[in-house]
Amino acid sequence: MTTDDVSGTPGMAASGVSVALGGRTVVDGVDLRVGPGEVIALVGPNGAGKSSLLAALAGDLAHQGRIEIDHRNIRTWKPVELARRRAVLPQKAALSFPFTVGEVVRMGRAPWHGRPESADDEDAVVEAMRQTETTGFAARPFPALSGGEQARVALARVLAQRTPVLLLDEPTAALDLRHQELVLRTVRERSAVGAAVVVVLHDLGLAAAYADRAYVLAAGRVRAEGPPREVFTAELLGDVYQHEVEVFDHPRTGAPMVVPRR
Amino acid sequence: MLKAYAKSGLIVGLALGLVVVCLVAAGKGQVPISPAEVAGSVLHRLGLDLGPLPSAVQGENALWLVRFPRVVLAVTVGAALGCAGALMQGVFGNPLAEPGVVGVSSGAAVGAAAAIVSGVTVAGIWTTAAAAFAGGIVTTFVVYAMSRAQGRTEVVTLVLTGVAVNATAGALLGLLMFMTDDDGVRAIAFWQLGSLAQATWGAVAVAGPCAVAGLIVSAVLSRRLDLLALGERPAQHLGVDTERLRITAIVVTALLTASAVAFTGIISFVGLVVPHLIRMAVGPGHRVLIPASALGGAIVVVTGDLIARTAIEYQELPLGVLTAVVGGPAFFWLLRRTRERAGGWG
Repeated sequence: MTTDDVSGTPGMAASGVSVALGGRTVVDGVDLRVGPGEVIALVGPNGAGKSSLLAALAGDLAHQGRIEIDHRNIRTWKPVELARRRAVLPQKAALSFPFTVGEVVRMGRAPWHGRPESADDEDAVVEAMRQTETTGFAARPFPALSGGEQARVALARVLAQRTPVLLLDEPTAALDLRHQELVLRTVRERSAVGAAVVVVLHDLGLAAAYADRAYVLAAGRVRAEGPPREVFTAELLGDVYQHEVEVFDHPRTGAPMVVPRR
Repeated sequence: MLKAYAKSGLIVGLALGLVVVCLVAAGKGQVPISPAEVAGSVLHRLGLDLGPLPSAVQGENALWLVRFPRVVLAVTVGAALGCAGALMQGVFGNPLAEPGVVGVSSGAAVGAAAAIVSGVTVAGIWTTAAAAFAGGIVTTFVVYAMSRAQGRTEVVTLVLTGVAVNATAGALLGLLMFMTDDDGVRAIAFWQLGSLAQATWGAVAVAGPCAVAGLIVSAVLSRRLDLLALGERPAQHLGVDTERLRITAIVVTALLTASAVAFTGIISFVGLVVPHLIRMAVGPGHRVLIPASALGGAIVVVTGDLIARTAIEYQELPLGVLTAVVGGPAFFWLLRRTRERAGGWG
């Protein structure tokens, strides 16, 4: 992938991105692209650099290389301009004052304040809460919710932002089976209407089921990239996770399933 | 929607409450004047021929030369402290932060004490106030500069640096009290206790514009302060330039607190307790919290000063002591209550 290719790509693109934390290179020369209508999953073992890569894409971390959104280096966007183009779901939702769930979701509309899009505020909030099934606790204080409920509210806030790019760091980590499916289905719906989505996932089964392409990371480098069906091989995953795995097709859907050898 | 009414209702209620408290406070004293006569006197000065004029001998003079400057300064100082508290808690994302934490109060105290002890009179009768103001501002920036690392300000570092600065300032105060004579010790001690007895129109003319400017900037920041509750990074993701927001908020807090403290000495807990109470009533949204805390702070200080100067005849209680006596236990209670509700501080 050359730099020219990257600059011609809509959505989001990164080329030769490296991140150093505390003198250690945690992301090493990563090329990545995600177009509108596409969901890509970042997978890999703990410490592979998934979250650091996502943070770099979000503009949180100083990095080498080039990261572009809407054909422009993210360094050249103003914070609020960037906020109208990409939303970020952090790994852990925190709140220092007991705002209600409704107020938290509405915060996602902040970048549109004073612009014509703010006419859609109510609409965006209602839709995001419906999609994440959080409408029921709109009036409850956020700190009073369970971890899984907070995670869904955090996602609702990100969805309400209505940006063409979504960066999600482990959106399913705190969730039960039903809500994991709900969240990733919602993410797919967003991509179906044109959003470009980058999602960090630990569960390879979920990645295989919902991602168009997966980036398998290890030690800060991309070891493989492509449709999950092609890159999730027993050989590669066994090597990356340093644990033997078996990969077989689901008898009904044919989706690849990854099971550690026990 | 009911909640929206509750929020605007609270602001209106607090504003009306403040007017009533001011009318009552201005009427109390050695020359008693009824609230109606106080209102009448103000309206007449405004060119409106409404209401009765004070009937007492020297009533007009008592009002306009002594009581009004004191009440207006109380309103100014209370509003400044209440607003500064709400602002500081928002910036630190911690309901326990208060202007004293960043060292404004203790820095101001050192400034004032240094002026008293050295006997310098560069600014005439304003020397102590000016020195207090300078001390507060300088201390705040020292704290801020020391707690910055790699272009950011970690909240924990900032708070702990504030603790260290407060300790250092306490030591300097002790040293200054040791160095001076008995009169100096008394002056420093009384200044630290806090009082509105020195109120004049001149003090109002200096503190007033500072407070108004601080309140306006705080109101402008309120929407971004809400987002800061999500944390530094998520606020940035929503388009907030958090570093600039913090610096602006800290400058404004320093300005509000130092300008208030400079003319009255240390009046504690107003900036801590008032925003807590407002938050409990209408939630943590800063667009309501900031104006409501300013109004609430003004009510508390006007009322406190009224009690301080009327509770004991021919004697004046130090206002700072009064607010601490009420504010300290109230803070304890708030601590426990908030902790139960939030399930710990996290």
